[in-house]
This record gives sequence, C-alpha cells and structure tokens, in this order.
Amino acid sequence: MSAPPPSTEVGGSDEPPVSVDEGTSPASGRSRGGGAARRVRAGAERRALAVLAVATTALLLVVFYYPVGTVFVESVVVEGAVTLAVFAEILRDPFYFGEFARLFAGENPVAVAHDFLGADRRLGIVGFTAYQAALSTVASVALGVPAAYLLARYEFRGRRTLRSLTILPFVLPSIMVAVGFVATFGQQGTLNTALGAVGLGPIELMFTLEAIIIAHAFYNAPLVARVTTAAWESVDASAIETARSLGASPFRAFRDVVAPQIYPAVLMGGALTFIFTFGTFPIVLALGGFQLATVEVFVYRLVQDLNYAEAAALAIIELVISLGILLGYLRYEARHAVRSRGARPLPRRPLFQLPSISVREVLPRVGLGVYGVIAAFVFLSPIISMVLASVTGGDGSLTLEHYRFLVDRQRTGAAFQVRPWTAIRNSLVFAAGALLVALPMGVVIAVLTTRRYRGRKLVDAIAMAPLAVSGIIVGLGLLRGLVFGVEIAGWRIVIAGSVAIVAAHAVSGYPFVVRTIAPGLEGLDRSLIESARALGASRARVLLDIELPLVWPGVVAGAAFAFAISMGEFSSTIVLATGTDAYTMPVAIERFIGRRLGPATAMGVVLLAVTSISFVVIDRLGGESFGI
Amino acid sequence: MTRLRRRSRRGFLTAAGAAGTVALAGCTAEQTGEGDDGIDDDGDDHEADTSDDDGEETTLTIATYESFVDAPSSSPGPWLAETFEEEYGVEIEWATPENGLNHYIERRNAGASIDADLFVGLNVDDLVRLDEATDDGSEEAAESGLFKPGAIDDVEGVSDVREELRFDPRDRVVPYATNYISLVYDGTTTTAPGTFAGLLEEDHRGALITQNPSGSTTGRAFFLHTVHRFGTDDYEASGDGESSEEGFDDYLDYWAALQENDVRVQGSWGDAYAAWSGGEAPMVVSYSTDQVFAAAEGADLEEHQVRFLDEQAYANPEGAAVFADTDRGDLAREFISFLLSPRVQGEIAELNVQFPATTTAELGAEYDELAKEPPEPVTFTYEELQGSVDGWIDAWERQFAEQ
Repeated sequence: MSAPPPSTEVGGSDEPPVSVDEGTSPASGRSRGGGAARRVRAGAERRALAVLAVATTALLLVVFYYPVGTVFVESVVVEGAVTLAVFAEILRDPFYFGEFARLFAGENPVAVAHDFLGADRRLGIVGFTAYQAALSTVASVALGVPAAYLLARYEFRGRRTLRSLTILPFVLPSIMVAVGFVATFGQQGTLNTALGAVGLGPIELMFTLEAIIIAHAFYNAPLVARVTTAAWESVDASAIETARSLGASPFRAFRDVVAPQIYPAVLMGGALTFIFTFGTFPIVLALGGFQLATVEVFVYRLVQDLNYAEAAALAIIELVISLGILLGYLRYEARHAVRSRGARPLPRRPLFQLPSISVREVLPRVGLGVYGVIAAFVFLSPIISMVLASVTGGDGSLTLEHYRFLVDRQRTGAAFQVRPWTAIRNSLVFAAGALLVALPMGVVIAVLTTRRYRGRKLVDAIAMAPLAVSGIIVGLGLLRGLVFGVEIAGWRIVIAGSVAIVAAHAVSGYPFVVRTIAPGLEGLDRSLIESARALGASRARVLLDIELPLVWPGVVAGAAFAFAISMGEFSSTIVLATGTDAYTMPVAIERFIGRRLGPATAMGVVLLAVTSISFVVIDRLGGESFGI
Repeated sequence: MTRLRRRSRRGFLTAAGAAGTVALAGCTAEQTGEGDDGIDDDGDDHEADTSDDDGEETTLTIATYESFVDAPSSSPGPWLAETFEEEYGVEIEWATPENGLNHYIERRNAGASIDADLFVGLNVDDLVRLDEATDDGSEEAAESGLFKPGAIDDVEGVSDVREELRFDPRDRVVPYATNYISLVYDGTTTTAPGTFAGLLEEDHRGALITQNPSGSTTGRAFFLHTVHRFGTDDYEASGDGESSEEGFDDYLDYWAALQENDVRVQGSWGDAYAAWSGGEAPMVVSYSTDQVFAAAEGADLEEHQVRFLDEQAYANPEGAAVFADTDRGDLAREFISFLLSPRVQGEIAELNVQFPATTTAELGAEYDELAKEPPEPVTFTYEELQGSVDGWIDAWERQFAEQ
C-alpha cells in the first residue's frame, strides 16, 4: 500500500479557529445560562425526536399516503361494493402476466413451469417489465461500481467535483436524455461515426431493448456509484491494517474486510435501480417504442381513459413487486450490518503517479482507462450532445439564438407564460426547501427503523413507498387530495402552490436520506450510544453529536439526492403548480419543446449548470470528513 | 476544530427541522360557499363569484392546453387576450391544467368548483371520453354535465362553421380550428409512398415514426386513420373492399404488417419529432402545416415535405365549450363568437398554425400555400367513436406490445 497522499482533505484547513465565535455561539449557553433555560433546552432535546417523528408521519400522511389512498381505494371499491375482481382479472390476464396468468387461473403448476421453460414462453407485460428492470440493474451496477472504485480509492485533480457531479443525470428530463441518446447512439450518432472511422459498425441501437437498458444505466449507475462511494469512504483503514498485520494478503484483506462493507451499498443501489426501472415510463417509449411498453405505460393509459379501478389495481401490483424486492434487500441489510466504531478512511492512491511499475499498480489503472472510454459514451456524450443541440441553429450553424429566446421570454413573456428566471429561482428555492425538510425526515425514519423491534423492516419498506408508487398515481392523488382539497365542516382545505411542492419533493427525496444513513446507523457500535446515554446525553444529542458525524458521508449523499430529486421532479410539480407561478425548470423545459430542439435544450443546459453548481456547493458545505 | 464542525452540523440539522415545521404550517382553507354550487344547472344569472370584488374589470377564465398560450414558436393566447381585452374591456385569465379536460372531470367528481368559464381546445376524443365517464345516457346526466347541450346554438358565427367539422351531436362544443395529420418526410433522403400499402415496402423498412395512440393526438389520429381505412369488426373500411384486395382483414392485420416492417411507435409527438429531426428515420406522423414552421425558421423546405396517404389525411377539429356552471355564460359565448369572427379565425390559424373552422376566415396567401390541405379529409364521427374507440386501441395494444 502506498503512503497516504500529502493533503487528504480530512478536516480541511479552511476553517476559522475555534475560539473566534466560542462566546457568541448558542451552544456555549450550556455552561453559562441559567438552570431554567437549561431545563427547557434539555426538555426540548428529549422530545425533539418524538416531535420530529410525529411531524414526519403527519407530512407523509397528508402529502403521500392519503392522496395515494384516494386513488388506490378505487381498485377495491367498484360502484360502492368492495371487490377483488379487478385484481383477479389482471392476474389472470396473459397479456399482463404471460404464463403466470395460468398459475393465477388455477392451472397445474407443473404444466405451466414446463411451458415457461419452453422456447415460446410468454412473459406478459409485468414479466417483461421485471426482465428489463433486472437487466438494467445489472448494467447499472456494472457501470456504477467502477466509478465508485475510482472515486473512493484514487486521488486526482477534480475528484471531489466529479464526485459531486456524479448524480447529475438524475435531474435530466427524459426528453433531454432522448435527444442526447439519438445524437449519441442513433444511426447518425457519435458512436456510429466513431465506429465508422475505425471501419466498424454501424450498429442500430435506437428502438431496441439495449437502448432502454443503456438509458436506465445512464440514470441509475450514478446512483449505484454515489451510494457505493459513500460506503467505501466509510471503510475503516485500521481494520485493514489489522488484517494485513495478521498476515492477510491484500486480496484477502479486501475480500474479508472491505468487500463486506461495500456489498450492502451495491445491493442497495441495485435494489433502488430495480424499483426505478420497474416503474419506468417516458424513456421506454422515447427510446424503445411501444412494442417494449412497460407496466407504467398502461397505468398511464388507463388513468388517461379515466379507468381508475384497473389503473389503481395495476399500480398496486407494481408497488407490491417493488416493495417485495425492497423488503428482501432490507432484510439482507439488517443481517449484514457491519459493526464499526467510527472510521479512519482508507488513504487514496494518486491516479496518475504510479509508486512502482507493477501489475498491481498498472492493471487497475488500465481497467479504469477502459471504463473511462465506456463511461464517456454512456454518460458524457448524451450530455455533450444536448449542449451542442442548444447552440445549433435550424440550418446547422452555431448560434446563441436559443439562449436569446430564453432571455426574450424572460423580458417579454406574458404573465401567464413560463419565464426562465422564475423557473430557476423556484427550482432552487424548492430544492433547498425540500432538502431541509427531507434531511430531518430521513434521519428520524432511519433512527426509528434501526431500533430493534419486530416488524421494523416492514415499517421501513412502507416508509420507502414514495420510491415505488407509480408517479402517475401520485400525481392524480395529489390533484384529488390536495389541489381539490378536502371538505371538513363546511371548509374546503386546499394545499397547493409552493408549500405543497416543497412538501411533495421532500417526500420523494427523503427515502434516499433514509437509505444512505440507515446502513451506517445500523452498523454503529451500540456501546458508543449506551455510554453517552449513561453519561446523561439525551437521545437527540447522541444522534447529533455521535451517530450522525459517524455516518456523515451518508448524510451528505442523502442531502445531494434529496436536492437532485427535487430539481428533476416533474409529475407532482406540474399538478401542484397549476394556476400559480410555482413552475420549475423541468416544467419550463417541457413547455419549450417544439419543432426545434433549441429552446428546450437551452433550458436543459441551464438546468444542468444550475444543478452542477448546487451539487458542488452542497458537497463543499457538507465537507469531507469522516468519523470523530 | 472538530467541535466547531460538529456544532455547524448541528446547526444545519436544527435549521432543517425548523424549516420543516414552518413548511407544515402553510395551507389554505376557504369556506365552501353556498352548498351544492358544484352542479348548478342555471349559472347565467348567478352572483356568487368573489374573485373580482375589487373589479373595475370583469375576468373571464379560459381553460386550454398549454401550447395554446405558451409555445416556443408562436401561440394565439397572448394576442387573443390582448385583443379581447381591448374590444370588450374584459380581462382574460388562462388556466392550463396539465391533464386538460380530465382535470375538470376530476374536479366535478370531487365536488370541487370548476373555476373556469369555458374550455378551448376540446376534440371529439375528449368529448367521447367525457360522456363515457360521466354520462349514463339519462336526461339528468346530460343536463348536469360539464357542458350544457345546445349551449352554443345561439352563438353568433356558429352558422359559418364548416359543417363537416361539427363533431358534437348535442351542440355543446363548437369547432374553431382544425388540424390534418399526415406524413412529414425528409425529401433529401427518401420519397414517401403515396399509399398505406406503400409504407409496407422494403424501401421503407424502419422509416416511419408515429406515436402512441393513447398518449398523443397525432398518434391517435394516424391510428384512427388506419382503422378508417382498413376497418374493423364494428366498422367497415372506407377503402370499399380495396383493403381486402390488398389482403388485409382489418386494421390489426395492417398493423401487423406495419410492425413487421419496423414502424416506430414513440410516446409523444415531441419524442417522435426530435428523433425524426435527429435523422433516426426519414418519415414522421405530424401536422400537414409543417412547412409553415419550417419556413418561419428558415429551414430547407425540401427536408419538410408533406404526404397524404391515399390522398387522405385525418382531420382533428378543435372546439370550444362553455362550462355549465359558469356565472359568465353570456360573456363566454361572446368570446366564442369572437373566436369565430373572420379576422380572429385568420389570426388563430396563423398563430396556432392550424386551419380555420369557418368559411369566412381571412387568411394570408403565403400561409395558404405552405399549409397543406388534403384532397380528402377523413374523420370518425362522435357516434362512430362512442363505445368503440377504447376497444380498438385495447386490441391494438394487445397485439403490438405482446410479450
């Protein structure tokens, strides 16, 4: 192992001396303030967690479970009578369930299994959706883990910025990705041009399953990379040193010490990827076409046709499958928690300076080089294509006219038209708000679900439902439950506009905070907490002073996700923003789609730029420190 | 140093908690007015609205689709609002809910107030869907619907509307414009076939992009055109037995061949047009007015050729209707006759890049040349679609997306 790099950013030097604001900081009141203030403070601290837990539950009920419930109930209450007929019909329909439908219809399982193994088996829409989600998950993990390895184990210029920007693809609307993909993987795209230059190709990727899988990897590999990086960075170097000093080979040390701490993160990334790609919608039709339609396409069509019973039933089936996968993961996570007592991170190796020319040093770097080329095509090229589209005019020349369009729209747009600056401002305000709401929500749920009690994993899975419920159903539920309001005692309570948008974004984003924090909390040495409690610290104080600092990379990653989810959110925003000025950048992009790609792509570039800067800021504010 | 860092983290989280609490506090409540205001069968002389108490000016709220008021190229909304305000002294407010008419159907089902006076941009599909969802055929259902039967009978200018565009048998909706959906192709890389059968030629393998019939207006129009052309169990083909000559039993049979020839069905018009512009395929299903846009952008018209299959194109008229429970029914009807007046018809057509609905519209000559009208427009009537269109699409989906 090489020596630690000269300046690991642990405890960076850009901090003011501690003593400067010691006297004015509120915390110092502890030593000087009166007993009463102390008691109030202690009381507040004691109840802080309980209050937050109640607030979180209330928020989830109001902006998620109740609205979604208003739609879901239609699947079991048809014309006033409770029935399961709608489910029965879908489950027995070969169009949705292929050979499985025969199982549900009561056919002999052996015969069905026999046919299923045959060549012309039918998967059904649900089976196909699961199949493409599984492939997408494998692709996302394959493309995400090397990135995590690079970011966690190597030092190079721009590493932190690169890490901050990893999840940038998350915020891109599907139309932008579609534009980027046509320009990269299309018949006249960059890839075919490159292949043609070396005498290969052309390959037809558009309108194939492969195109969908690559696009899913574009969205989700960054997710896998980000959570895996956070886990890798939390690996305690001393454990490895101990293993090595006891005679373990580097490989053995990796296998027995490092890998077990990374598996859960990789699996989590995989589980989340499966759930997202299982509920995938616009991108499938944009890149694959209708012959590759997934379950969500039909949920959309049924809602569109006001066929709510079937839409809700289909969405519930979708949800049950997603949550089943998630529950499986959560059980694994609970069993495989790695006990740790705080971490001193592994030192990073310089990427471009080899300490020695040996197979062990050269081979990984060559591998990363190959990975870099693939990553350039999958991640960079679509984004670059989008930027190029934003500066290309109708006749193919370079132009700034599309950005001029944005400026003009800002200056002269009518009050009822979408204006770029308003969209930028709203996006930033909502995302910051969503982050500030999602963080405490996520922390509280993470604490509650890592306590030991029966069924806690089920509670955890249900708390993760916002990740897995069909976005179309959530949108409809918000319309019914919040925008139209509820009539209580002659008053119609309406929740819409900015506040509702922030709440809805926070609800969509908080599961990420839970997922990035919970594994760390689960693995913390209980004796640390017990000692602190024995010394008189309240539960909230232990959390703030001991637990969260120990899982800080997870907190920062969760914050970045919550921010990104808000920045990219479309379906709830458009429902809640109706009739107000509370539109965001993705809404503006959608509005600017026309015959020319220019205006929408220009707005897309603005979205990218604003989000990039925000990510870097979040990451810097979050700091890069580990352990105590 | 560690202590400071810890404290700043704590501050961060405390602030976050506080923000959460503040956010929770914000919601609005309003008293639900005079009981069952939602379904009011005679809204004309009703003084319940409170939105313009300060009103020197009356406000007319018009629901429409987004690009009618806010498109990156041009949209008629701003011009209409300004002109109507000038001439009638009435302020116009636009409402553009994302899911269009469904938003108002939902509102009605939820017992929430409609909050708009008229809807501009309804087509026959919307009307069929509305009636199937809310109308059991009874007299009361018809009378308590979102729009009142016969409501546009006495609107000035309705008699100028071309008869073949009128699509509402109950006279709730009056057409103000129409589109024709056709093929648009890049003449520098292909020559589009002149017939539906031609689309099946090997030359055109993978060459056509269309859209999901249930998610896109253009996709649905092209789909309905194939049903019209090749027929189905409950509808005989318009091809007068020609289709059986070509060897197709019905539209599903034709689509099987089309799928065999790698037709691309994307989700939305935007996706499809973007893929077509990116050179992914030389033909796309779009509007017959495509050259108007192309010319405005200075693009090469050779790359924007329009082709009518079998000399036909599917017509998709758009209409306007007055909400039954508005307090401003008369004003709303005045707005509709304003829409139908010759000058406004010309302006809407040019700004929304459509065709006028009336015989009296004033259109520029250049526009006439660039916007192509098919020799034979085809369309399904309300009666033909009602009770059938869902089944047609369902059968198509089950065939096309079978896994």
